[in-house]
Amino acid sequence: MRLEILLTAAIFFGGTFLSGYALRHALKLKKEGIIFSIVSGAMLWWAVLELILVPMTMALASFHSLFYLYSALTAAMTVAGCFFRRDILEDMKELKRTAREYMTPGYVIAVLLICYQLYFIHHHMYLEWDDTYYVNLANEAVHSDKIYWIYPETGAIADFDKRYVLSLWPIFYAWLSRITGVLPTVMAHTILPWLLIPLAYMVYVLIGKELFGEDRQMQGMFLSFAVLLHLFMSGEHTSGLTFLSITPWVGKGVLAAILLPLLFYWILRSIRDSSFGCWMLLGTTCLGGCLLSSMGIMLTPLFVGTAVFLAGIRKKSFQFLLCGAAACLPCILLGVFYIYLTH
Amino acid sequence: MEEFFKIAKSDFSQTFGGAFLFPVLLISIIWIFRQEKDWMKKILLCILPLVFLFLYWCPLTGLLFMKLLGENVYWRILWLLPMAVTVPYACCLLLKKLYGIKRQCVFLALLAAVALSGKAVLSEEWFEPSLNAYKIPQNVIDVCEVLPSHIHAMVSNRLMPYIRMYDPTITLEYGRNSLGYNGITETESLEQILYLEAQKSEIDLSVLAPLAKEAGCAFLVFSNNRTYIGDWADYGYREYGNTDEFVIFADEDYE
Repeated sequence: MRLEILLTAAIFFGGTFLSGYALRHALKLKKEGIIFSIVSGAMLWWAVLELILVPMTMALASFHSLFYLYSALTAAMTVAGCFFRRDILEDMKELKRTAREYMTPGYVIAVLLICYQLYFIHHHMYLEWDDTYYVNLANEAVHSDKIYWIYPETGAIADFDKRYVLSLWPIFYAWLSRITGVLPTVMAHTILPWLLIPLAYMVYVLIGKELFGEDRQMQGMFLSFAVLLHLFMSGEHTSGLTFLSITPWVGKGVLAAILLPLLFYWILRSIRDSSFGCWMLLGTTCLGGCLLSSMGIMLTPLFVGTAVFLAGIRKKSFQFLLCGAAACLPCILLGVFYIYLTH
Repeated sequence: MEEFFKIAKSDFSQTFGGAFLFPVLLISIIWIFRQEKDWMKKILLCILPLVFLFLYWCPLTGLLFMKLLGENVYWRILWLLPMAVTVPYACCLLLKKLYGIKRQCVFLALLAAVALSGKAVLSEEWFEPSLNAYKIPQNVIDVCEVLPSHIHAMVSNRLMPYIRMYDPTITLEYGRNSLGYNGITETESLEQILYLEAQKSEIDLSVLAPLAKEAGCAFLVFSNNRTYIGDWADYGYREYGNTDEFVIFADEDYE
């Protein structure tokens, strides 16, 4: 299993890393660092999947056609990143120069806690009844080559459950499963935590950097508190933070543990730097959120709208409000479509 | 209105009950509000969570969200509280005032305080040791290894959620929706009669087997503590195999 985990991590982090550089270059965001690139790349991958998955699902396309199209797109984004070697080298050099600064008690404790979390989750299982729907949705896609034509719990041909048709996150790990040749059940339960838990904490690293500038000691301490809160939280199945440990593979878990904190980061950053690139990344993240869960279609614009409204009033900037509203546009459009489908 | 507050209160205590994290969040908000000079940070770290709490408890917005999200999942509004940013930031604001060894000692003390305020997520209470890479109960894998692929089966409710996670070629007669049939006493639906008969500790084969055949169930899997009225052979089924916890019956016509 170690080999499969390493291979999937290499594909996911390698691909999102390079795609992130391509995106950064297009958005003219220089010297942002490696973590920023990985996180942006992951959001780009999810947003692109949402863009092609919704129409393909509606058109009853086969899973293999989605697989080839999405593979071609992610490969193109990854290859595009290779052309920006200078940006990559600059970030590498910067990391090499500052690597020792990260050796603070806060960072060390955070890394130890993350390793403990990964170790514990790898050796334990949490039985989630919803998996019979979501994980089997991915299993069915790989096994029957159909996206969402089949009721995942029994395997019978069924009409779309319109509540989920716009947010088919399991298809993302069905795609990873098909690449690596691992059953989606194993991909979800055993491999995905190794990708999504580090990705979640990368978001907190970015927030820490935004809040504390170059103060590495404070950044590390902030990260260790954030990690600790994920490990000591209340509400087994109701609190967003616990999802990262109990079911990190479930779309709504990814929404609560990765996407909402990332939206917080983009808004925090947009307040400092209201560049086109930042707003585009916020919009991309909003679209990526729609892939994760139908809840993402609702909660994302609510979070962004409220935060941007409050910050916009303080900034006394109508343009700020307008840009925030524009970033929510993908969710609003899909939200209207969702209401049309379900009512 | 009363119903709204009942749901909101129950969801809130389910999320924050059994721990002191909500008071910790409120203390953090007050601390940041007093200590932070940057108004934008105050807005995002203090005012924003308070606005979300207001939206959660306000019946006007609450009822709207309940309609949009669904009453059963109203607690998801609480995900919008940036707990893992506000609380750490408040702790760091306190630590910023200290230097040297004093800072490190208070840092460790605050870590301990945060941990004690919450409830350990990674505990044996919620998790169990994983025995396989699929991370599904081992008894499911034991049954799947006896069952052939590409069959239609009716299985015990204990296996039902997991069996297709091991072998998606197996199709099942019932999904989780069928749990809604529990408690039905009178019905004419053949699907419900079959399901309800399969839940009995003493199964009447004259009722179950013809319906299972009609539904195309080539395999039936029951807990091995069940007893049967009648002989399986009389109804075209035979014992196919067993595991420590389950007995598997197959349609005699199955090749």
